[in-house]
Amino acid sequence: MKALLKIGGACLLAAAAGTTLFPFYWLVTLSLKREVDQFAIPPIWIRFHPTLAHYYDIFWVRPFGLYFLNSVIAASVSTLLALAIGTLAAYSLARFPRPEVSFWILSTRMFPPIVSIIPLFLMLRWANLLDSVLALAVLYTAFNLPFVVWMMRGFFEELPRDLEEAAMMDGETRLGALWRVVLPLVRAGLAATAAFCLVIAWNEFLFALVVAQTDAAMTLPVGIASRVTQYEIKWGAMSAAGVVAMLPVFLFGAAMQKYLVRGLSLGAVKG
Amino acid sequence: MRQEASSLEACRPGLPASGEQGFVNIQIEKLGKRYGATHALRDFSLDIGDGEFLVLLGPSGCGKTTCLRTVAGLEQPDEGRILLGGRDVTWLEPRERDMAMVFQSYALYPHLNVYENIAFPLRVRGQADNEIERQVEQAAERLGLAGLLKRRPRELSGGQRQRVALARAIVRRPNAFLFDEPLSNLDAKLRVEMRAELKRLQHELGVTSIYVTHDQAEAMTLGRRLAVLKDGVLVQAGEPEEVYLRPACLFVAGFLGSPSMNFLPGRVDGAARRFVTNGISIGLSPEQLERLPDGAPVTLGVRPENVELSRQPRQGWLAGRVYVSESMGNENLVVVEAGGHRISCRTIAEMRLDFEAPVWLLFRSGRLHFFDTPSGKSLWP
Amino acid sequence: MTKASEAKGNRRRPRKYSGRLWLAPALIVLGALSIYPLLFAVQVSFRTPSGYGFGNFSRLINDRLFLISLFQTLVYTAGALAVEFGIGLGLALLANRQFRGRGLLRSVLLIPMLLPPVVVAVIWRLILNPEFGVLNGTLRLLGIDTAPLTWAAAENTALPSVMLVDIWEWTPFLFLLLLAGLQSLPVEPFEAATVDGASKWQILRHLTLPMLKPVIAIAVLLRGMDLLRVFDQVFILTQGGPGFATETVTLYIYRTAFRFYNFGYAVVMSFVLLIATTVIARSFLRLLGRQPASA
Repeated sequence: MKALLKIGGACLLAAAAGTTLFPFYWLVTLSLKREVDQFAIPPIWIRFHPTLAHYYDIFWVRPFGLYFLNSVIAASVSTLLALAIGTLAAYSLARFPRPEVSFWILSTRMFPPIVSIIPLFLMLRWANLLDSVLALAVLYTAFNLPFVVWMMRGFFEELPRDLEEAAMMDGETRLGALWRVVLPLVRAGLAATAAFCLVIAWNEFLFALVVAQTDAAMTLPVGIASRVTQYEIKWGAMSAAGVVAMLPVFLFGAAMQKYLVRGLSLGAVKG
Repeated sequence: MRQEASSLEACRPGLPASGEQGFVNIQIEKLGKRYGATHALRDFSLDIGDGEFLVLLGPSGCGKTTCLRTVAGLEQPDEGRILLGGRDVTWLEPRERDMAMVFQSYALYPHLNVYENIAFPLRVRGQADNEIERQVEQAAERLGLAGLLKRRPRELSGGQRQRVALARAIVRRPNAFLFDEPLSNLDAKLRVEMRAELKRLQHELGVTSIYVTHDQAEAMTLGRRLAVLKDGVLVQAGEPEEVYLRPACLFVAGFLGSPSMNFLPGRVDGAARRFVTNGISIGLSPEQLERLPDGAPVTLGVRPENVELSRQPRQGWLAGRVYVSESMGNENLVVVEAGGHRISCRTIAEMRLDFEAPVWLLFRSGRLHFFDTPSGKSLWP
Repeated sequence: MTKASEAKGNRRRPRKYSGRLWLAPALIVLGALSIYPLLFAVQVSFRTPSGYGFGNFSRLINDRLFLISLFQTLVYTAGALAVEFGIGLGLALLANRQFRGRGLLRSVLLIPMLLPPVVVAVIWRLILNPEFGVLNGTLRLLGIDTAPLTWAAAENTALPSVMLVDIWEWTPFLFLLLLAGLQSLPVEPFEAATVDGASKWQILRHLTLPMLKPVIAIAVLLRGMDLLRVFDQVFILTQGGPGFATETVTLYIYRTAFRFYNFGYAVVMSFVLLIATTVIARSFLRLLGRQPASA
């Protein structure tokens, strides 16, 4: 009886995994199928002639190469800035606690983005900064900052002060001590935080949708969305674009998954 | 000492750079520091001479670590100032004071190997690689770390880590060494060994040193001078023998010496010219009577090594019974119940005493201390 | 080096603030891009098509569509959360044993959360397509008539379809969080309960769930907040349709601002959303007996 339950449980878990993986499989195969195969009824599962036509299409005929680049710029620039600014603030808060400031910083994360995006749009329009990837990157920086502060502060608080003090006695400035002694020791935390920031920025839609007015500033999610909401949808192109949008996160997540899971678990246990 | 400092200051206005032998005395003037409502340090003043090894001694929370950290620059005082070689350094960053600190936890950089740990202060100052190599190897040699340079801190034993911390401190010639209870994490045997080595090292290098500890044995053996603190206040400063033989108050008398001094509260009977307490009466000399007010509550203090014990009844000695006897190998520590008091004393190892054995005690007359009971102040000697 | 020996008076300043000043850049950025916009928005909230005034507020009271969108958002949130929590908890309980491949399972299940919601929505739009999608295609293979099953295109199945997408993407989040929570629980109380004769259900109800309360609270709160703001999936899958069936608050606000260019009214509605989410969050936390936002 127990064995049956165990097998049942395992089946359920396997089913969960399968349900998770199936849509990817479908997306990837769809992107590689010729158009005739895509719409075949009954659906073709495995036996089809693969083609790269759709990928060629989105990169050479359509501007998805540009969208990809914009996504990369927005995500990486904002992550670097958020890490730099946020880590400094987090260290300051860890060593010189200011509870009101901490609370205030973290509460900005609670705002629904739609509340900020309207005034931000108007501000950008007034400053003629709409349709700029860099403006978007700056917005993402502010978006990710509270998260960086929250995570890095926790890591710094776990580190004893002795090491920085020793470095200062040895002749370092506080900033130098931070750079040479403290940061190497919280490398894992930095990596996890950076991973989260990159993923959040890469996937973000609403801000990017509002800021982008032309192709020049569109990120991948916006590029995809602008084509999908029409009546005539090119499934091949869209699935290829979806794969391209998905792939970096996929690979990145695979590389960082140890950190991401730990980060989540930390969040759960620490509350 | 102050005279000398100011005349030298006239010749050399600035602080000597690291590595040069300058006149590096430390003057602490009226230092005060509060944490919220508590006074960690109160009106603390102390002069430390060039090349002197000074020990700050006291129980936990007495302010000795706060004082050290303020001298280091890791904390800022609320009042007072600190002078280094005559120059006011109270508000300077630690790195501008060019001192070296050995932390209780050693504070070794875990991501660097031993060589890089020791080299760190030199790298920070931008010295050339070959210079660094020479100095690091010299320091490592001196502390017996030659074969361990490639290892990481986590691969070292406690004693080895401590040596690395020391090496890091001596690798340059700082203005001063600051020690924050560096031996307290070592096991007893190692502690005794390292104590001797530290003393020797400081003597050879001649660097002005401040050493913080709560262990009175350490303080006695290491320091050329001792400063005892209690509740943020300097209670007594002086050479070890001075503080031991002529404690300024009850607290100091009880803090130094192990086992600690015996205290018997009582009062002075001027008419009978005796000190009286339960079951004990001791004759007082005319000099003593001069200082001890008649009828006043006075506490007698006598160290265990100054209490003689006899198994034979003796005329005029205090009768008592053995409460407990501990054999230390080279001697015995005996606690005797006499006249309602418990008195510790030391005897030779051969004297074996059972519980409740009858014994007779004598306090050596030249070695008595008298303290004013309410204030604890020393009245005699 | 001569600085200190010169200035006799104000020497306190430089030391005390050295490390504390590092907060400044963060505060400036957040002040400019998170706080100031809100204040600016207050001014915007008075903009109406006919000049500055209180028109937006009176319009709000009479706007049935806004209320409907609010209601639909709540339904969406509650429904998706319930399913995600139920499945997530079930899977977490199942996965709470040591078994080979658990790390792999975690990694696999982690993936949907990492994807751009836009992409997820596209995938599901393909799958749910009534004529060419895999779902109906497979159902047809099984002999089911799929003519009436138009999923995202039919009024009564549209909202559940969108919820389905969210469930697929975010159940792993709850799974992982709850699993982490389960694994952090001490073993002894459970052993004691087994020895005392408690059944599996009793253990679950009286021991596991209460001990898991803090983790559950965090998980439900985080997910709930995100669900109330849902936008990406709805935008891609249905654009709020068919008709108004899947119109969520954020979508309605977005449309008001960026299709009809009525920024003032949109801002007012977004403030209502902000207040609503804050109130819900606080009530939720108070319900569980904790202090609000100790973050």
